[in-house]
Amino acid sequence: MLWTKITIMAIAGALGAALANRGIVLFHDAVRAIMPELMEGRMRRREFASLVFGTSFGLLIGFGIPFSLASTIVLSHGLWLGTDIIGAWFPGSYGRIKDADLKSRLGLIGSILSGALFGGLLVVAFETVTMLVARLPVNFFSYMGDLSGPIIFTLAAIPALAVAYQYGVKHGVIAFLITLLGRQLASGMRLAEPDAWAFLAGMLVLTVHAIQEGRCEVAPEESFVVSAEQIKRVRRHLPWIAVLGAVYALASNQGILMEGPQSLIALAQGDRIGAINYTVVRALSFLPLRTMSILATGVFTMDGLGFAPTLGLVSPNAVVAGIAGATVMSIEALGLVYIAKFFNRFPCMLKAANSIRTAMTKLLEIASLVGGMLAAHRMAPGFGFFAVAGLYLLNESAGTPVVRAAIGPVAIILVGITLNLLVLIQLAT
Amino acid sequence: MIKINVSGLAAKEIVYKVAELGGDQVDVRVVADIVGAREVAQGKADYYFGACATGGGGALSMAIAILGYANCFTVSTAGKPPKEEEIREAVVSGKKAFGFTSDHVDSAVPLIMKAILAQHNHEN
Repeated sequence: MLWTKITIMAIAGALGAALANRGIVLFHDAVRAIMPELMEGRMRRREFASLVFGTSFGLLIGFGIPFSLASTIVLSHGLWLGTDIIGAWFPGSYGRIKDADLKSRLGLIGSILSGALFGGLLVVAFETVTMLVARLPVNFFSYMGDLSGPIIFTLAAIPALAVAYQYGVKHGVIAFLITLLGRQLASGMRLAEPDAWAFLAGMLVLTVHAIQEGRCEVAPEESFVVSAEQIKRVRRHLPWIAVLGAVYALASNQGILMEGPQSLIALAQGDRIGAINYTVVRALSFLPLRTMSILATGVFTMDGLGFAPTLGLVSPNAVVAGIAGATVMSIEALGLVYIAKFFNRFPCMLKAANSIRTAMTKLLEIASLVGGMLAAHRMAPGFGFFAVAGLYLLNESAGTPVVRAAIGPVAIILVGITLNLLVLIQLAT
Repeated sequence: MIKINVSGLAAKEIVYKVAELGGDQVDVRVVADIVGAREVAQGKADYYFGACATGGGGALSMAIAILGYANCFTVSTAGKPPKEEEIREAVVSGKKAFGFTSDHVDSAVPLIMKAILAQHNHEN
């Protein structure tokens, strides 16, 4: 099992770094945004590489790693931010590879080897750390599961909050009550996963609002400018996009790689339905952003439009997952123009997606803090509450060097290490 | 009157903060990011603010595509809080679009507004 995991992650790493190096697919929106500067010669590679490192490394360490440590499922940020950095660092050109000079070819080979090494080492590192921590007097990783409750059960609040952000508090409260009613009805009818039903009820309210609003502000010009050249660039690389979709969905299916912190935590806890719901809501909330970003640059996204992990989780086995992933990511790439046209017709949907993202981010921050406090308290009664609340506010006053959403796992790790040190000097048992 | 367009995560919070800091010197509103950046390009608005989880991604990707990278400035990224001196230089050098992380709304917005208001009052 371990070798399968290492192999799949090495393949994913090699693929990600190669695609990043060729400027075909990138993970980080910020990197994709500046990619044309490099391609069109307004920026030198050295400057580009240092910008990529600067925008990605903090997120990799502060977000990708803590959530991955929480479960030994690798958070996609932990892998793809790294492959972005590797691909950006090696030299490369952006025409066809058969026309490329020797330096670009060596750059591609370097990216593939480093990416594979990076992907494989990630698994080895996480497994080793987990094994070592399990031998400590206090195995603090065993408390990471406490993060899951707040994260799994706040899913249903996302649509109602999005309604509140977009259409005002009054509508938000009504949506919230309908969500609550949906949850209680489902649980009264003894349906499995009442929270999933509550979430669906909330999404229904949000959809009704969005349809009622219709073509809200009619923009004088179309929001999305579809450039034939960028579309062509994406389509030319379709085979690689299909391979990426297959690998991504397969890794999700096997519980090796997950797209977001919420779906990862839910999956680690064995709540597959919750994880599936989170992949859908994240995909929807990023839909306009990812579409825009791809159409503006001609560079595809590592996540595609976000549905490959969903298909991976839904699939019964690895083979089906691979085929489904390749299919869905190809459809995503081919469907970009139609999605752009849809958003041009209904520009208010852009705002709805933004509201969902805001709701999702804020809920994760709360869930992460509360989950972190619960876990730390269970680990060290009293001391845990004191330590995590204190760490949260110290982080705030330091200008949030640790991303708020990651405060839970980071706090559990810090409290766990402290506790082990205290046991070592016999100040605690 | 300084016209500022805001988009992205926590857009409403940013708008309240800008309005509070800028008083009657600013006209600030939430818009879709494409509209926001395009109005700046057309001269209908003066500045564009955006927040996302990382500072440079969702926040600025549209602004970079429309206004060009040279007109955009990443004020903060995950783990790298905003710095007053950098922001002042960016405003003085004529940057139009500012991206920061949603974690840094409380620290970034006052610094950007301070620099913009100083620049504006200096010009008049």
